[in-house]
Amino acid sequence: MTIKLYKFGDFLISRPAGRDAYLSAKAYLLNKKADAIELDFEKIKVLTPSWLDEFLMMLKKDYPEAEIKYRPSDNPTVISSLKTISQSP
Amino acid sequence: MNLFLTDPNRAYYLHEIAKLTSISAGNIRRELKIMVKSGLFQSYRQGRLVYFIINQDTVLFEAVKTLMKNASVSANEDIYGQALSWVSKPTASSLPKEIYCQTRDIFLARLQSFAERLEIKIGTDAYLVAAVAGEIGNNSFDHNLGNWPDLPGICFASSPNRVVLADRGQGILKTIRNVRPQVKNDARALKVAFTEVVSGRYGEKRGNGLKFVSSVVSDKNWSLRFQSGRALLELSKEKKLKITEMPGIIRGCLAMLKY
Repeated sequence: MTIKLYKFGDFLISRPAGRDAYLSAKAYLLNKKADAIELDFEKIKVLTPSWLDEFLMMLKKDYPEAEIKYRPSDNPTVISSLKTISQSP
Repeated sequence: MNLFLTDPNRAYYLHEIAKLTSISAGNIRRELKIMVKSGLFQSYRQGRLVYFIINQDTVLFEAVKTLMKNASVSANEDIYGQALSWVSKPTASSLPKEIYCQTRDIFLARLQSFAERLEIKIGTDAYLVAAVAGEIGNNSFDHNLGNWPDLPGICFASSPNRVVLADRGQGILKTIRNVRPQVKNDARALKVAFTEVVSGRYGEKRGNGLKFVSSVVSDKNWSLRFQSGRALLELSKEKKLKITEMPGIIRGCLAMLKY
């Protein structure tokens, strides 16, 4: 299953917006069971670790068994946010 | 003066100027009297009103026009000084509405508009500038929402190659002490906030924002000044993180990013 993040806007910056986006994804996009969930960053202009952290934290809590994949992106904010999140314990 | 220079052909009567500039009529009358005497302004009576108009024929006119233009440029460049003054005062004063974001929604709308304008000038690095500014500004809202000591909201201003953000919130030390009560001073709190994954919002697994800021600033060879309480953190182009004790104290946080 792939989630196209641009559907939540191309400026993904604040924690409340990340939380809101996840709740919406859960209600309308995500299946009840998923083996793998892929995040697609195409068309995103600005992504921050705060937005992503909020989204991922809830996703991982609801889908502890699912493998979460990230589609490659050349957007510098996506690259830096993923780097920061990956270094977080 | 700006009022008269915007349309030099237009004359204004005293109370009209007072209303437009929010300056008392008495003060305006006193200043105009001096400027009429110097030849920079002319006055004439029409009915019961005395009108004032700038004299475009005097040599002073061009000089004043240039002076005001330069003053406007320096005012734009001194956004850091303006923000510093705002966070240094013991009691809250108002900020010009164009740089004051009372709520997160206002901040995010202005940030997006800023990033889109900046993208035309510097390309996709504008997105990184917006992400860094976004993390710093949102941090202010995340940690002070419903708990602002006096004035809610933040200052968000920009001039060429720099962005300034400030808040009159609780500051980093008080926020960090929510989860690390043993942290002794502002300097140590800044070090923790910028180098360790720890969130001041108790019970939440967060705390990446300022590490991201630090990482992007280093990677891009930008520079950052971040002050909270009595401590100033400087992240220079040489990728060195330096924290110093300042003689004066500020309320909340003050940050300047140079890119």
